[in-house]
Parts: sequence; structure tokens; C-alpha cells
Amino acid sequence: MSIQVEGTIERKAVGTGTWALVSKDGVTYELHNPPADLKQSGLSVVVEGQVRDDIMTIAMIGPVLEVKSFNVVK
Amino acid sequence: MTNFKGLAAQGEYDSILVDFRETAGAAQIEQQVQAITQQFKAAPRLNSQFSLPDNVYVVKGDAAMLQALRKSPVAKFAETIEPNYIYNAYAVPNDPDYAKQWNLRSINVEQAWDDTKGKGVTVAVIDTGISQVPDLEKTKFVSGYDFVNDRDDARDDNGHGTHVAGTIAQSTNNKFGVAGIAHEASLMPLKVLSSGGGGTVADIAEAIRFAADNGAGVINMSLGGGGESQLMQEAIDYAHSKGAVVVAAAGNAARNAAEYPARYRHVIGVSALDASGNKAAYSNFGAGIDLSAPGGLVEGDNKLGGILQNTINPETGESVFEAFQGTSMAAPHVAGVAALVKAVGIANPDEVEEVLKQSAMSVQDDTLNHYGAGKLNAAEAVKLALRGKISFRDFFQWLRDNGYLNPRFWIDGGIVALWPKLGMVIGSYLLAWFLRNYFTFAWGWPLSVGLVAGSSGLFPLKGMYLFDTPQWPFRILGSSIPELGSALQGGAMNPIFASVLIPLILVAFLLGHRSLKWFAVGTAIGMAACLAVSAVWAPSLLWLGSGWLARSFLVVNALLCFALARLVVRPGATA
Repeated sequence: MSIQVEGTIERKAVGTGTWALVSKDGVTYELHNPPADLKQSGLSVVVEGQVRDDIMTIAMIGPVLEVKSFNVVK
Repeated sequence: MTNFKGLAAQGEYDSILVDFRETAGAAQIEQQVQAITQQFKAAPRLNSQFSLPDNVYVVKGDAAMLQALRKSPVAKFAETIEPNYIYNAYAVPNDPDYAKQWNLRSINVEQAWDDTKGKGVTVAVIDTGISQVPDLEKTKFVSGYDFVNDRDDARDDNGHGTHVAGTIAQSTNNKFGVAGIAHEASLMPLKVLSSGGGGTVADIAEAIRFAADNGAGVINMSLGGGGESQLMQEAIDYAHSKGAVVVAAAGNAARNAAEYPARYRHVIGVSALDASGNKAAYSNFGAGIDLSAPGGLVEGDNKLGGILQNTINPETGESVFEAFQGTSMAAPHVAGVAALVKAVGIANPDEVEEVLKQSAMSVQDDTLNHYGAGKLNAAEAVKLALRGKISFRDFFQWLRDNGYLNPRFWIDGGIVALWPKLGMVIGSYLLAWFLRNYFTFAWGWPLSVGLVAGSSGLFPLKGMYLFDTPQWPFRILGSSIPELGSALQGGAMNPIFASVLIPLILVAFLLGHRSLKWFAVGTAIGMAACLAVSAVWAPSLLWLGSGWLARSFLVVNALLCFALARLVVRPGATA
């Protein structure tokens, strides 16, 4: 099931570091294999993707969001 | 003084100290010294030229001689007869950057190294793989597997797994880099996470079985997330049945409840501490946390508070020394110490877990279960393991882990100090019974409810958790009225609640009601017992501290509560 999340891209310094999407309502998603264009701290985006319940990670900062597409919002 | 006790931790001695009484004359002492020489064929000598005024003698001897001396006539003339412990400074490894590893000192690993360095135990690291960086050169490896690329070579392409492996078994005393906890243990590299740091539950479950089948005594999983998986629980149960201790990171979302796999049964869930010993802000807490260990705190470019190990730069594959933070870094501390405990002969994983918990430095007033059973303590763990005879203290945890309780429940066994609570309930009933001897009144349920609510609350509920639901309802139900003012944030009682105020209001409102009046009376009596026991046991109040001020406040209010109850039950006071 696909979901849409609006928020800000952040680099989180846990372990080796990871890319996160902090939604407007305060939920932190871990981005799973994010495209290179999305790896920019402070970027405001709407991400469409899928929460992967079958994946475990080293970051453990929140639900794992696999990015399908995204739009940068001004 | 506790430090000195630690220095003689092993209790080794080959001589005995005899300190003669100052009142014994020189002739008497000379006579006794002769007697010892004759009886034990060992000549006592003065400890040093400074010992003469104190009459301190040293004599060669062992435990049997110590006992014999204590029973001999010499004992009458001696102030003390005790082992002359050999104090030795613990060997500090020669790794040049060991000084930066505050985390290893904070778990007292140097003392543990005197007994074991983990020889003979295999620790499986289920992670991004392990690369054989220079500071792992002297570390032993056994064959692992790369489940991501399906090949035997499980080298790291992320940097995480190598770092985690370093905490467990970095080559130590090799005059290079940093140290690791169980550096004579063998590492089993199991790669289940890709270079991006994620991997599937299916691969991880397979890796757990691989580890169990290939002789891993300890399995470390510095990973988490996702949902419940039957496949994974079965793999963990299998590893447990094969004797493996399974350790997992609690997670870095700063929320109540550990992630999977830390929350599965038979897994030791580990929260992270910073360099000052507080829970790191990012660390998960609450349900599923069994122990806490250093996970570090990196603040911007200041990495001194992080956990420093040798790993790879994922871009270039080159060896680097990096300081990381996270519960990922905390779990391998526990895995390393688990390997030490196994190495001194504790085979059963439940017993290893119990040793780790009982030897941990417990944290007072850990209302929200930030620390589990406490902070990891390697020295005490190895000492306890060497003593053998492990008894199970955390009964609820045992029930849960063995499937007698619904695994969606978590019970923090250490949350409530049982004896004061029992004292409060029993005390309140005794007070009520005492009053009843003077003024006859009926013993109905409103009175009983009041007694319990005022004295102890339904305290067993306080340490109960349902995963992924808020815990505060349990804490409120589990609190007595005096504790309500601090039920949510935990810690010391709020003096507004821990005073005669609430019983007074209850009496004012309920005095006119035939049966509810007795609830108010019960509350007043119950609170009198609770405040009195608190005054004796742990007089700790918000704003008032925990000294005489808090103590007198509690005593005065206990008396006022009791006086209030007495006033209401006196015949003629009834409306």
C-alpha cells in the first residue's frame, strides 16, 4: 500500500548515518535506498512510497519508507 | 573505599595479617609470635619498620591457616586476623587510543580481563558484514556467510558491521588503534544488510539459524525495525535452544518500546548510555529493555562522546577509526561481556542473561525503564559467573520468555520495591483495625478500597507494558494517591499529593454520604501508612529533597491523616 508523506529531508547521525524524512506531523521515516537527488538536508518534499514492514535496518529511527517518487515543494 | 575493594577483586593472598592489640604488652606479643612459629612452622615478621607501633605482623599462609589462626589462642590477643590481599593494578592495554575509549572503562572491563578475554567463544555479528581492517588482524575469525550476495565472503561495504565487530573483539594489546571487549573470542561475520544498511527479515532469520548451527555462543544484532515475524521468532528460539545468547539493539527512535528483534523473547534488548551514564536521548526505552550499555553521543563535530572503533570508509573501502553513536553501539558491549561470561563456564543462555542482569549497576527510580536491570558491568558479571550457582530473580521475565505469559506483555520486574509497598498495605489495615478497637464501625468495601488507594495503589500494574500502547494508564492505576502527583514523569512524590490535603477534601465532600464516607476514611488511614513508611524508607519529595525536611513533612502529614480519620470515625461525628 502506497502512502504520501510531506516533510523535510534530514541526515541523522546514528551509526554510519542515514537519510530521514521528518513528516509535518512529526513522524520520522527512514528512507530506504533513496535516489541521489533526494539526499539533501533541509529539502522540503512530498514523497510517495511504501512502508516496508519486512525490512530491518541499522538506523532504527522509525518506519522504513521505500521511495517510489517524490516532488520538491517550494 | 569501594575502589579498594575492587582492587582486591579476586581475593588472592598468600600471607595473613595479624594485628595485635595495642593493649597487649611487648612480652605477650613476643610469646604469641613464638607460638605461631611453633604451631604453624612459619615465622611472623613485622610488615615493615613502620609496623612496630601498630603491632602489625605478616605470616605466610593460606585459607586453611587463616581459619586455624582465628581459632587459636592467638586470636584473643589480636585486633584482626585477615588475608593480606595482593593488590595489583589492572593491566591497561597498550593500544595507543585506548585512552579515548571511555566506554570500556565505564563497564569495568579491565578487571574482567584478569579472568578472561573471551577465549573459546564465537560471537556471530549479524550486520553489514565485517572487513578485516588492520585492527582486526590479530582477531580470530570463523567462516561466515553473505546472505545479501549469497557468497562465503562476508566483507563489509557499509562500515557498520566492522565497527560493531570491533567493540566485541578489536585486536587488543597489539600496540595499534583501540581495544575490544572479548578480544580472544572468535568473530563470525554474517552479512544480511546491504551497503544501504537495510535487509530482509528472511535473510536475518536464516543468518540466526546459520550462527546457531555453526557454534556461535553469542549472536549480536545491531539492527531493528519492521513488524512481528513468526519466522524470526522461531529462528531465535532455535538459536536459544542451541545455547546461543541473543543480543539486540533497542532502537534509536527515542520512543517507549524496543524494536524487533530486541523485543522478542530470548533476546536481550539493550538501550544506550552516553558518556555520563545517562540514557542517550535517541535511545528507545520502556517495554523490551533488559539492560543498558554505552552507545555514545556524538554532538556535531565533537565525537569524543562517541564509540571509537576501527572500520572502513564505505566510499573508498579504506581503514578508518570512527566514533559512532546509537543503540547499535550499545548492543555489542553486552554481546562482548556475554562472551566473557560464557568463556568462564556459564553455558546456558538464560543463566548468562541472569548473570548480566544481576551484576548490572541498578538505577534507582528508573520509573520509565530507561535502563532495564541496570548498566552493564563486565567486572561484576565475570565475578558472579565465576561464583556459579545462578538463581533467577526476574520471575516475570522468565514467565514471559518461557511462554506462560502473552508475549505482547512486558513486565519491568525491578520497578517496585516490594517490601515498603507491603508495609504500607499491612500498616494501613493495622491502623484501621486499631481504630476499630476504639470506635466500632462496619468494615465495608468502600473502606477497603480507600485503604488500598491511599496506601499502595494497585502497585503490580506499575511495571506493566503492552507493546506499542502508552504505558501511563498502567502507571496511574498502579499509583497510590500520594504518588499520583508524580505518576506520569516518575521520580520523587509531589508534596501536594503526599499530604493531608486530598483526604481532607474527600472527607469534606463525602462526610454526608453513608457509605462513601468510609472511602474517605480508608484513604486517610491508607495515606497515613504510606506517608509514615515513606518517611522511614525513602523520604524523597519534589522541592523538599530527601533530607530531614521531607522526613518531617511526611511524618507530620501522616499524623494529620490519622488524626483526620480518627476525628471522622469518632461517635457523634457521624452526620
